[in-house]
Amino acid sequence: MSDEEVLLQSPLLYRVLRGKDGALSIEVVVGGIVQFEVRVRLNAEETESFQREGRAFSDRMAQAIMANPPFGGRSVKSSGP
Amino acid sequence: MNFISRALVLGSLSTVVGCASMKGGTKPPETTEQPPPAASLVDNCDDTQKGISKEADAMAAPYGIDQHIEKNFPDRKVSWLMTDSAYQKFVVQTGAKNFGRCNDVACYLFAAPSAAIHGAVEKAKTADGKHDPAVLGQALGLPAKNFEGPLRMMTLDLAAQKVCTRLPVEADPGVWKCTTPEDTDCFKFGGYTSGGAPEVMVINAPVTDTQVAEIP
Repeated sequence: MSDEEVLLQSPLLYRVLRGKDGALSIEVVVGGIVQFEVRVRLNAEETESFQREGRAFSDRMAQAIMANPPFGGRSVKSSGP
Repeated sequence: MNFISRALVLGSLSTVVGCASMKGGTKPPETTEQPPPAASLVDNCDDTQKGISKEADAMAAPYGIDQHIEKNFPDRKVSWLMTDSAYQKFVVQTGAKNFGRCNDVACYLFAAPSAAIHGAVEKAKTADGKHDPAVLGQALGLPAKNFEGPLRMMTLDLAAQKVCTRLPVEADPGVWKCTTPEDTDCFKFGGYTSGGAPEVMVINAPVTDTQVAEIP
C-alpha cells in the first residue's frame, strides 16, 4: 500500500499525489505507442498554483510534461504502485 | 390453366433451372469487377474527428489515413504497450471504459500495427520468460528505457469494433514534441513516429473489446 495520498486523478492520464512529508508530486503517463509514467515534484510556486487553481493548473502542468517528458531534467521514471 | 396447374408448371421450371445451376450447367458470367473497398475507419468517427481527419489528410496529401491503413495496417489490428504499473493505476483502478488520454471531447490513443508490436515482443523474449528492453526498443525504433519493467500489450481489431481512427495531429493530447533532431520518441506528423514506426490515432478505444497480455 502506498504512503501517498491521491489528491487528483485525471482522465488525461495523470495524478497529483501528496507524500508523507506533505510535498506534492505529479505523475504523468507519457509516450505514444509505448506509455510509461514519469514523476515531477512540484516546487513551491507550482504547489501554490495548484492550491489556488486546482485542476486547471495541473492540466497545464501535465500537458507540459507530456510534451517534454524530461521536463528540464526534473522528471524521474516512475513505476511504483 | 387453373391455379394449381400453373403452380405445378412454375415449380417444375424452377426445379430444372436450379438443378442446372447446381450441376454447373450455367456458368456464372465472368466479371472483372474488384471487390468493394474496405470501409474507411474514418466512417466510424463523429463529425469533430472527421473534421480533424480531413485536415490531417489535406496536410499529408497525396497520402491519407486510408492509404496509411492499407499500407501499414492491412488486417486493421492495432497494438500498443504500457508499463504494467501505468495499466494498473490508470486503467484497472479507475475502471476506465476507454484507453488513452481523455478530455471532454474523446479519448485519444496512439497505436501501431499489431504485427509489428507482437513481432517485436516475440523477438525480445528472454530465456527467463521476461523481455529485453534493448531488443524491444531497437525493434520499434524507440529508446530502451521506455520498455523497462513489466509491460502490458494491448490488441484491438479496429474494423470488427468499428473504432474511429485517423492520422495523429500535433494538437492531440499526449503529443511529445521533438526538441532535437536526434530524438526518436517524439511526434512527427505523417503517420510515423520519429523512430519510423507506423502509428495511428485511435479514438475511444473500448477497454472491454481489447485483448490485454502480460509481458513480464
